[in-house]
Amino acid sequence: MAIDIVTVVPRSLALPAWTAQLPLALITLVLATPVLAAALSGLLAGGGETWQHILATDLWSTTLTTILMLALTGALILAIAIPAAWLVTMYSFPGRAIFEWLLILPLAAPGYVLAISYYDLMSVSGPLQSAIRKATDWGARDYWFPDITSLPGLCFVLAVALYPYVYLTARAAFTTTSICAIDAARTLGARPVSVLWRVAIPSARPAIVAGLTLALMEAAADYGAAGFLGVRTLTVGLFRAWSSYGDAAAAARMALILLALAIGLQWLERLQRGEAGVQATSKRWQALERPRLAGASGWLAAGFCGLVFALGFGLPVLRLGWIALETGDHGANFGGALVTSLLLASAGAGVSFLIGITIALYARRGWLARLAKLAASGGYAVPGAVLALGGLVALSQMGLNMAGGLALLILIWIYAARFTAAGAQPMEAALARAPRSMGDAARALGTPPLQRIWRIDLPIAFSGALVAALILFVEILKELPATLMLRPANWDTLAVRAYAYASDERLAAAALPCLLITAAGLVPVILLSWRLSRARPGS
Amino acid sequence: MFRPLKSRSLAWLALAPALFAAACSGAESPASSADQPATHGVLNIYSARHYDSDKALYDAFEAETGIKVRAREAGAAQLLETMKAEGDASPADVILASDAGTLWRFQDAGLTQPVQSDALEAAIPARLRDPDGNWFGLAKRFRTIVYDINAVEPGEVDEFVDLATARFEGEICVRSSSNIYNLSLLSELIERNGEEAAADWAGAIVDNFARDPAGGDTEQIRAVAAGACTVAIANHYYWVRLASSGAQADRETASTTALSFASAGNGAHVNVTAGAVAANSPNRENAVAFLEFLASPVGQAMLVTETKEYPVTAGVPLPEGLMELPADLSESDLPLDVLGRNQITAQQIYDRAGWP
Repeated sequence: MAIDIVTVVPRSLALPAWTAQLPLALITLVLATPVLAAALSGLLAGGGETWQHILATDLWSTTLTTILMLALTGALILAIAIPAAWLVTMYSFPGRAIFEWLLILPLAAPGYVLAISYYDLMSVSGPLQSAIRKATDWGARDYWFPDITSLPGLCFVLAVALYPYVYLTARAAFTTTSICAIDAARTLGARPVSVLWRVAIPSARPAIVAGLTLALMEAAADYGAAGFLGVRTLTVGLFRAWSSYGDAAAAARMALILLALAIGLQWLERLQRGEAGVQATSKRWQALERPRLAGASGWLAAGFCGLVFALGFGLPVLRLGWIALETGDHGANFGGALVTSLLLASAGAGVSFLIGITIALYARRGWLARLAKLAASGGYAVPGAVLALGGLVALSQMGLNMAGGLALLILIWIYAARFTAAGAQPMEAALARAPRSMGDAARALGTPPLQRIWRIDLPIAFSGALVAALILFVEILKELPATLMLRPANWDTLAVRAYAYASDERLAAAALPCLLITAAGLVPVILLSWRLSRARPGS
Repeated sequence: MFRPLKSRSLAWLALAPALFAAACSGAESPASSADQPATHGVLNIYSARHYDSDKALYDAFEAETGIKVRAREAGAAQLLETMKAEGDASPADVILASDAGTLWRFQDAGLTQPVQSDALEAAIPARLRDPDGNWFGLAKRFRTIVYDINAVEPGEVDEFVDLATARFEGEICVRSSSNIYNLSLLSELIERNGEEAAADWAGAIVDNFARDPAGGDTEQIRAVAAGACTVAIANHYYWVRLASSGAQADRETASTTALSFASAGNGAHVNVTAGAVAANSPNRENAVAFLEFLASPVGQAMLVTETKEYPVTAGVPLPEGLMELPADLSESDLPLDVLGRNQITAQQIYDRAGWP
């Protein structure tokens, strides 16, 4: 009987099946062009003397360092983000409501800024070690102190900078986990930890892994933090090939390894997601009751959240503010840079969001959708400067010169190519958790596709879409290398200003634009957090 | 079962690219005039320098000449690729970089043009500019040795080869080798003593490291003051800025350390902030006028206010906090294009020596 209803849409009105794939094909082309152009120039022109030298000296060690860095950073992120998300979603403890959004704040602070701040805090001349020497009469070489300029140090900085990706996606997933599953587990006498391990994490796994994949791709493409802390990752080697050897093509060839890593991560993500076992099975939603953590355990929870916030945001940001005050080095007026930053971030986030949501809606529909997603992921794993280079190469192949307003268009294009993955991933993860039966029911009832998207997919994707919009906006706000390379004359962003001071070793002057980036990112973070806590369907 | 999307959803989804275009053109409008190839009264500067005082410098040039300045700042390697991509249509008139080797790269890529200017030639010593006028040095910076005054005698660090001796085993703090100032330093050693000697020097420095390189020059100086090492390699102005900093701790750092110009052998290692006229400059006359302005007493003084570099022309007052150069200081007479020519070899040597 259902079959009859489906055919209500007259066949004559439907376009041939392949045309439905056109927008997706277009998106794939737009996203993949810079990556492919960079990859091609790397393959065709990148094999010269520089590449031979890199191959003979440190290609393998930098690759190994990168893989180790990803593994350790990933482990740290999970250890921070999952307990934090679980605690603020499921329990009531002192300060819970504040921590719920405080824990997102590190998202607003760029990794390179945290690296600079931590370096200053932890260095031999920094406040901590100076205090130790003053108190003990030791010399600088008489004691052991953790070295932030090491692989573990870099992983620590990247983890506290990037854990919000997982915290956000995990929290969104925990918030929308069917209460039935959790209640059933509780009724059956499962202890809280085992509810987390055996019910909540498996159910939230696609979201958690999606967030982790994003964070790790971001870590792989990081140059600022690794470069400053002196850790030889692939991306650091890539920039050395470009600036020391002046060989952009060899740099592009090194980016191929980053691309391979991204494809690997993507593949792992798909592998773990599979097809079954992750969709919510019950449609019974009810207000979440948060058991109170009384006494010591409540304070322990608050202490954990407080520590995470302090490490990811409070401590490094306070240190920056302190330096700025201490030296009185304020730099110039940042009003114009703030406006430019907001404009570019809005435009870039808007475009990336639309592309991202399109990909997410198509996500489970065929190989082209997978290709589009792969193109987006490729862009996300490659440093912005390499994508910008790819954009320039593509442009010159088309016989165009990057002059005038075209530069701005290209910048937005590169933003989209670089960050769409960050938008598509959370939305897709949210959609993936919805019972497919809902979509099937709507289809069976003959709901037209557009309505189906509007009335079913979008509401389901809502919490994910909010996360996506926020991540996109804040990411582009922080973006440096592509903006630096492609922005039109006199279009300085806050990140560009901060970079200018930091590269001149004027940490104090860099502090103010960094704090402004953070402040500009805070507004959407707070809005998001407020919406997210109300996004629980049925409550 | 998979079913393709129907026409209406297709239309909706097809909006995305349209909105893409709309978003782009919308964002573009505030700057629509910023970048267009100019016909008259405009100067486009591509700068790898990043100083607030440069904005004041541009303003002063605008005020004096009425020529409207537009600046684009980025890393040198990225500016170079951007200029290549722009090709003949590049709006760039002037290229500024904080290193002679960088300018040589632009010259080597055919992105500069020779300029003949009596004013520039009169103001700038010949060794600080390209013989054909492809680039002109505008301010001097010295790579120096900063040392702990309680642990090192000035005579022990009067040239860079001193640092390669057993005297400084475990005592040297220095930043990463890919930093342009370290590359330039080794480029000079390669030219003077040959590749083999340069490689020996780099290897000996690595053996003498107090710790693995990280952070910038300022951090190396601070590490000396804190006692983590007794000597550091740093540009002179980082020490000068600490000495005149608003923070007490910075001034203490400077007061327990001193600076050697390491000039005993072949003279102090000099590098320059330099400018060039772009090969396809649409406003060539304005570009030359700007370089001449930078070489004028007013331009020279403004150029170094914030950076604490040394002016290249005589008789220009030094910026606040910068000490006079020692009267008997001998400066290296190496042609500066060598710094660019040897840069790749220098990085290769560093890589092989295991200098991160």
